[in-house]
Amino acid sequence: MSVFKHEYRAHTGPVTSLPSRIRVLARYALAEAWSSKITLVLFAASMLPIVLYLVGIYLANNPIARALILRGGSAQLDIDASFFLKILVSQSWLALVLTAWIAPRLVSFDLADNALPILLSHPISRFGYVLGKFIALFSSLSIVTWIPALLLFAYQGYTSPQPWVGANLRIAVGLLAGSVVWISLLSVLGLALSSWVKWRMVATGSIFAAVLVPAGVGGVASAILRTKWGFLLNLPVMMSQLWARLMGVPDSIRFGRELPNTAIAAMLVSICLVCVVMLNARIRAREVVRG
Amino acid sequence: MPARPYYSDVSVIELDGLEVRLGGRTVLDGLSGELRGNAIGLLGPNGAGKSTLINTLLGFHEPLRGAARVFGLDTRRDRARIRQGIGYMPENDSFIGNMSGVRFVRFMAELAGLPRSEALERAHQALFYVGLGEVRYRKISTYSLGMKQLIKLAQALAHGPRLLILDEPTNGLDPMARQRMIQTIQEIRKEGSIRLLISSHLLRDIDETCDEVLILKQGRVAALRNIEEERRSNRNFIEMETVGSTTEFCERLRGLGCECASFPDGRVKLVMPDTIDVRDVYVLASENNIEIRRIHRRRDSLEDIFLRAMENDPARGELVRL
Repeated sequence: MSVFKHEYRAHTGPVTSLPSRIRVLARYALAEAWSSKITLVLFAASMLPIVLYLVGIYLANNPIARALILRGGSAQLDIDASFFLKILVSQSWLALVLTAWIAPRLVSFDLADNALPILLSHPISRFGYVLGKFIALFSSLSIVTWIPALLLFAYQGYTSPQPWVGANLRIAVGLLAGSVVWISLLSVLGLALSSWVKWRMVATGSIFAAVLVPAGVGGVASAILRTKWGFLLNLPVMMSQLWARLMGVPDSIRFGRELPNTAIAAMLVSICLVCVVMLNARIRAREVVRG
Repeated sequence: MPARPYYSDVSVIELDGLEVRLGGRTVLDGLSGELRGNAIGLLGPNGAGKSTLINTLLGFHEPLRGAARVFGLDTRRDRARIRQGIGYMPENDSFIGNMSGVRFVRFMAELAGLPRSEALERAHQALFYVGLGEVRYRKISTYSLGMKQLIKLAQALAHGPRLLILDEPTNGLDPMARQRMIQTIQEIRKEGSIRLLISSHLLRDIDETCDEVLILKQGRVAALRNIEEERRSNRNFIEMETVGSTTEFCERLRGLGCECASFPDGRVKLVMPDTIDVRDVYVLASENNIEIRRIHRRRDSLEDIFLRAMENDPARGELVRL
């Protein structure tokens, strides 16, 4: 039918399956996230360390290039678990910056224009809505964390003269698991905070604050009380310890006051639960006025 | 295309002792009834429970007791299937302001289950249908209030729903935009493939667009009426103020089949059969040297129904059907 025929007709064709509606949400959310030039700039900036690490791996495995570039210097580059830990740490900070920019775009637009009643009047649940947004954010963060990190791992395996991959498979598993834990946490945290703040810039600030302020408070508490438990509020330190263990970084170069795995896991689960409660309270088609 | 009959065998909405509590307050108090009209009006003063009933039908609110069914599907168990067949236009602003009109409508159509290409095609059609064809590539945040109402209507129509729920569709519109909205709703009703549920506190909107009306008061059913029948029964009810002897005039009117009553002050009341037109009354008056000073045709029967419903206290859980 031509669009110029101004008449209505019912849709009689096939409809897509219910789970595929979540993909629709994720697709539109991804398009929204990447329609911003600032997102592209942040993505490009996130790739700069990867390029530097790539050069490092190349130099470490190529004595001639190393001799030419370092001009006889004796610097030795070891490509091991601690090298990949540095990659993960730097990319995780960049992932935080990207989350602070993207997450509010995914949720705040819907909340600012009160789009939830219309969105949720379609055959999609509140869980489906959050899952769609989560997938979009998780995918965006994946391309600056575990995907380039694993590509670097693969490149190291390819360029290394010795059989390297088989002996260091734990690093790859640690990279993947550590990244997935971190970006899942960031995604849930970003969505939860964005759902409570309608103004995007304030939401961006609140995401940074949610990571950095408790870290500072935890650091102060640990210093004053001379305890390691204050670091449970310090997400970057807590995650660094978790990543180091996952990737098998030697104890000698690990962070000083070690937190038990169970405490880290309990803290991460608690943060996620709080975020779920926050999302449950805000992602609704209607607000209920009490009284 | 010929218009559908006003009522069909399929009930659009069934309410079975529906009770909904929100924030510790009973908002819907044992609603029972069966709605079968092609265009159902939902009337009631502010706080009567109109929007809550709509939200319950959409599955946004869980009934405390009783049940609500849309085309026989339970709002608790078959939420997704109900939403699949519903187009919903909310009362307040509800859109994604930084999307273009066509992208927004396409997005909503895809969420409703249309494949991507079909959703795009129907988004264009729906926007042209509601009169936003020329501005479909503009961001919604730049639309006027009337355009924002129309984009909500377009997204509700795009996926071809069986039931279109319009919550205060003329809210905040100027007279021209209101007229345009009413005409569009009338066209949808006339086309006949979609059932309509229109919530409004404006009697005129319901009167112009609906054939059945459910009146709510304090969360209970105050009345359920067939507007078309009421309209038909009152259509030829006429009051006149005349000068001259009305005895013979009334006799001749009765001869034509009218029910006629004359009063000493020159007032004449009559109910005319469908076969007689007002023009015949003027001709008869002229032939009997009667001067008609004033003639009044009663039309606004919905106002009478509404006022009567508001006077009575509705009973809880009383089953109403047409």
